[in-house]
Amino acid sequence: MSASLISMVTALADDELVLGHRHSEWTGFTPYIEEDVAFSSIAQDEIGHAAALYALIGQMTGDEPDKLGLGREKSEYRHAVICERPNQDWAYTLARHWLYDTADSLRLETLEATAHKELAGLITKMRREERYHLLHADAWMKRVAGGPVEGRTRLIDALHDAFSEAMGLFEPIELEEDAVKEGWLPVPSGELRIRFAHKAGEALDSLGLPTEIRSRLDQSAEFVASSSGDLIADGETHEDGVSIPSGLGGRSGEHSSDFDALWDDLTHTFREVPGATW
Amino acid sequence: MVTVPTTSLEDEVWAALQSVKDPEIPAVSVVEMGMIKAVEVDGQAVSVTVLPTFTGCPAVPIIKEDVTSALARVSGVEAIQVDFTFDPPWTTERITELGRKKLKEFGLAPPTGTGPVLITEIGLPKVSICPFCGSKKTRNENAFGPTPCRALYYCEDCRNPFEQFKPV
Repeated sequence: MSASLISMVTALADDELVLGHRHSEWTGFTPYIEEDVAFSSIAQDEIGHAAALYALIGQMTGDEPDKLGLGREKSEYRHAVICERPNQDWAYTLARHWLYDTADSLRLETLEATAHKELAGLITKMRREERYHLLHADAWMKRVAGGPVEGRTRLIDALHDAFSEAMGLFEPIELEEDAVKEGWLPVPSGELRIRFAHKAGEALDSLGLPTEIRSRLDQSAEFVASSSGDLIADGETHEDGVSIPSGLGGRSGEHSSDFDALWDDLTHTFREVPGATW
Repeated sequence: MVTVPTTSLEDEVWAALQSVKDPEIPAVSVVEMGMIKAVEVDGQAVSVTVLPTFTGCPAVPIIKEDVTSALARVSGVEAIQVDFTFDPPWTTERITELGRKKLKEFGLAPPTGTGPVLITEIGLPKVSICPFCGSKKTRNENAFGPTPCRALYYCEDCRNPFEQFKPV
């Protein structure tokens, strides 16, 4: 059993679970019915991926997958902060969906070379399903970026918020160095972050979206630490005047207040009815 | 693929597996779906390794129960082990010819085979063959559907919406 492997798989599983939960909140509320089906199905895929990853961790630790997914304290979750942000409007939902799935496809592509054979098989399986998520997001980005002014403006505003926060997906995981050394993590998070910034940046250019969307990118990409040494989730200005980029800290369990209500909802049944099956 | 059985108990085990259906697609057995990776018979102990079709498929625990109870009904089987693995990952290419035929009869367009296929921007065949009337005048409506394995199409000829098994 390797602590760094568990750390890596937990971060991945938590991202999928929490964003899957947010996607599921669209069930019954999307602008039109085909998207209701799409978001519900994507949510089911993401939560299914999380369940399979928790089961893999359970094989190593002996924990029940449900307990790993639903039985932890807030500070024990290791997803990136962008995953827990509320859906806001359709534009923000699409912006985050696209950023996440662009990032996820890069990360899963490299993870197929992980030294853990069963995980590598699962990653291959996940990639074949995730492919449809990214194509769905790409198609929507194209449609809205090239569409009427209001939708385009809303999308640009949403990307302003979400682009720098997406960098939090590539914050180093706990025990990152060990995970690289032991062969679990084939490409370090920092390297993936650079690849992601390039890929997403180029895509935004080809969609004709303004480059200012990336204005905060360099700053946030450095992962400025707070005075206590901890990375923190909410953007704030500290007494020394240094602005802390938002969206960081998730990989060390520092979440924003947006996670409070989500966690309550997500874990409610598990806490109220111990041992419930569904 | 089904290998040539070497013992009669193994024969019976395969026959029992043939009776286990995917609860969401009750027309097709887990054998025809290509979900059985391996069957091992050691004396009276049987172990079966199953490949889940889609990662988030809620049918998986039900399939596990169904495989276990089908094997329990085979006389001579004393110990049963059912495991799932993602190694190798299940793909739609694993569905047998008979399985594809049964999918179509069930009203679910089977996943398209190899060969040049025009793909839409959401990654699916531009045209699917309508399982009801055989028309190619169909269009993709949604890459997603009521279960993780299905996409939605519409037939312009018989005017039926239908589902296509999604290639993965």
